[in-house]
Amino acid sequence: MPGAFGPDEVRRVAEPALELGGVDGVEVLLMHEWGGLTRFASSAIHQSTWREDTAVRVRVVSGGRIGVSATNEFSPEGARRAAESAREMVQVVAPDPLFPGLAPPRPVPERDGFDEATASTTPQARAEGVAALVAQCAPGFEAAGAFETLATEIAVANTEGQFCWAPSTQASLTTVVTGGEGGSGFAEVFAGRIAEVDPEAVGRRAAEKARASQNPRDLDAGRYPVVLEPSAVATPVGFLAWIGFGGKTVLEGRSCFSGKEGRQVAAPSISIYDNATSPLTLGIPFDFEGVPRSRVDLIERGVFRGPVHDLRSAKQAGTQSTGHALPPPNPEGPFPLNLFLSPGDATLEEMIASTDRGLLVTRFHYSNVVHPVESTITGMTRDGTFLIERGEVRYPVKNLRFTQSILEALTNTTMIGRDTELASEFFFSASRVPALKVEAFNFTGRSDH
Amino acid sequence: MLDVVRQAVEAAGAAGADYADARVVREETESLTVRNQEMEGIDRASSEGIGIRVLVAGYWGFAATARMDEGEIARTAALAVAIARAASRLPREPVSLTPVEPATGRWDSPMQEDPFTVPLEEKVALLMEATRRMQLVKGLAFAEGSIDLFRRRSWFASSEGAAIEQTTVQSGAGIEATAIGDGEMQRRSFPNSFRGHIAAAGWEHVRALGLGEEAERTATEAVELLTATECPSERTTLVLDSGQVALQIHESIGHPVELDRVLGMEEAYAGSSLLSPEDRGRLRYASDLVSITADATLAGGLGTFGWDDEGVPAQRVPIIVDGIFHGFLSSRETAGAIDQTSSGAMRADGWQNRPLIRMTNVSIEPREGTLADIVGDTKDGIFMATNQSWSIDDRRVNFQFGCEIAWRIKDGRLTEMYRNPNYTGITTEFWRSCDAVGGRESWTLWGTPNCGKGQPGQVARVGHGAAPARFRDVQVGVR
Repeated sequence: MPGAFGPDEVRRVAEPALELGGVDGVEVLLMHEWGGLTRFASSAIHQSTWREDTAVRVRVVSGGRIGVSATNEFSPEGARRAAESAREMVQVVAPDPLFPGLAPPRPVPERDGFDEATASTTPQARAEGVAALVAQCAPGFEAAGAFETLATEIAVANTEGQFCWAPSTQASLTTVVTGGEGGSGFAEVFAGRIAEVDPEAVGRRAAEKARASQNPRDLDAGRYPVVLEPSAVATPVGFLAWIGFGGKTVLEGRSCFSGKEGRQVAAPSISIYDNATSPLTLGIPFDFEGVPRSRVDLIERGVFRGPVHDLRSAKQAGTQSTGHALPPPNPEGPFPLNLFLSPGDATLEEMIASTDRGLLVTRFHYSNVVHPVESTITGMTRDGTFLIERGEVRYPVKNLRFTQSILEALTNTTMIGRDTELASEFFFSASRVPALKVEAFNFTGRSDH
Repeated sequence: MLDVVRQAVEAAGAAGADYADARVVREETESLTVRNQEMEGIDRASSEGIGIRVLVAGYWGFAATARMDEGEIARTAALAVAIARAASRLPREPVSLTPVEPATGRWDSPMQEDPFTVPLEEKVALLMEATRRMQLVKGLAFAEGSIDLFRRRSWFASSEGAAIEQTTVQSGAGIEATAIGDGEMQRRSFPNSFRGHIAAAGWEHVRALGLGEEAERTATEAVELLTATECPSERTTLVLDSGQVALQIHESIGHPVELDRVLGMEEAYAGSSLLSPEDRGRLRYASDLVSITADATLAGGLGTFGWDDEGVPAQRVPIIVDGIFHGFLSSRETAGAIDQTSSGAMRADGWQNRPLIRMTNVSIEPREGTLADIVGDTKDGIFMATNQSWSIDDRRVNFQFGCEIAWRIKDGRLTEMYRNPNYTGITTEFWRSCDAVGGRESWTLWGTPNCGKGQPGQVARVGHGAAPARFRDVQVGVR
């Protein structure tokens, strides 16, 4: 198994690019990733993989003109060639009047995000984990899913003198259990260390959900109160990252938060923030242009406080970067990768008990934007949707389509779970979120399973 | 490089593989984005490495590395074998591969002008001019133009004796106009949304798109949409332009006919399928006007190649014939489950990933007439154009699509413009309601360069030939 190159080797690779002549500045983003994924279906391992890849991405600046070139040749020669290619581009493009300069030298917070046991997990160990998960399935049920262990090191070096380097690891296990008379169950865990992944617990949870969701019945679409489990809450929160929380999006009037700074946009119980340095998420302590990441309170007690920024959007807004740049050139602007929705004080059981007639949703599937400025998205329920009547879960129902404004849902939220989970979304990075009870959620169609 | 992949196959054999194949892939991309006369992004990227796939006692293993020295290749091959051995921890029916004649040869996608040799100045000038023309329209917030170029060279060898070299070049460009005001944001794109129209072709394809000629109309429509009426909520006759028909095919036919989904191999992530193997030759998927073909031999498609990534030759495969479901997209592993041979649909994203069943060019066969003919033949309904969003359930049954623009059709003419149009339906009900499909003159082979699937996530570049089509009794204006 390979290991991290380490900061000295990374500096050595970046050096020829940083020494490129005839330009005003150079930034080198270096990435190294290695790990394995054991994929299973029908309770057997069917697609196991392992890979190691590198990337050297060089941004060259001259007179406000910017060029970017990348290679996966992780060597001083590769970095030099990428820098020369980027320099060729700056000779033909127009200057960016909003170019803010490269990141100045600043210390980056320490974050102990690397676990050697995770980085060196063997395929045999992942296979044992999958076997433990599969063993939780009752006869007639099967598990599918993926068990991944991944290590990365990321570094940014620039000609202003900024240098930052961080290694990190992550382990994730997701599964869907199917079988019996229709219905399915889902469970997942995301962690920085493989020791925090309990395959039996993940398998047990999905298997119980699959058993509970047998013989789903038809239910008419319409507005229902909903109890959203954390995996379902990750969808609206993830979409807000995309269509709402970026500084560029807000400044350009494309966000559901444009012009709403300081205004109530959600229930007073709702607070959402981004914090890559928290031990409760999987983050690196600096962004992809080398700015230290800081905690940003996005919605505080229901009031929109402001977006995240990279250096460019910060200059445009007359403020400081919050450390949320994506890799260049990034026309989309800054993006929060480590969102949190603050917990409340309710249990899932209390939310269900407080519901006269509504739905319990395990998670959503393949959602997409309907109207970004109104924060409206559509998607399907999946892997366990249940009717609640008179405070009790009555029976499973077939999957439903929703078409719903996220901010309207957050405004109609009356209960928030006291426990949080790091939950994934189909398209976005994982968010740490609790369960929510929303008093009105708009279901607009249904499926046959 | 054929020496390198052969060396990898030998190393895998020495490590204990019963079957092995190896692919070296070298990819280059160049991407430019201009917005309001400013360069929003210009970048080039290259990536090269080797992926080694093995079968050991009927279990798969795969390992990939960017370092291609002899020692690293041997280590990676041995790791692939170790991964396959670990997979046997959970017993399953051993994988067996349906036969294929080991191929040797070379294939290059046709092009007239290498887009990577076109001077950057010319590319920047083309986008500057198209966006300048859009900005002449009063009330426009953003005028954006983009160019995307892609070249993939691959070298493939297998322990059965295959030795293949292929090169694919793809070029595309598009413009996008955005108008913002009073809580609304409206977009119009040309020739298609999500960075335009990409084809397996050279720079001649970009030149022929006519971005500058369509700039003013595109921008004008975006501004007009700001004050247009909201698309009404009703059940009505729906006419779709060929770009939207392409994505409708992609989501509600292309994915459901992937045999790995049908067999549960994608269950945990993107989901499964409404189909079962027994549906072949029996299920009425669509009206008898609808015939769908997967054709990897079509000139210019993003799903066009000489051989797939397990060395199976490119094929033209009937998927739906006169409305009846006929056949799946398959691989050497899955085809055996339905007593067939592979349809040649296995492709991998780069060198880092194992191949999966992916769409080739999944297209609707043209019937007759133009878009104007279909609209002219419609008494009352709604015409929607240019995809804006998509969503479909995990068995590809219930879908909802949003488009950029719509118009009311009254007595065969387009009348009032509608903003924020969308429609929803159930896959087979929708396709069975199709009562008009345009002819060859209105048929376009579109590229979809962003099809996601698999774990780790892979992105495939696929094609869809589509003509405008009409559907009856469809729910539109979902709110």
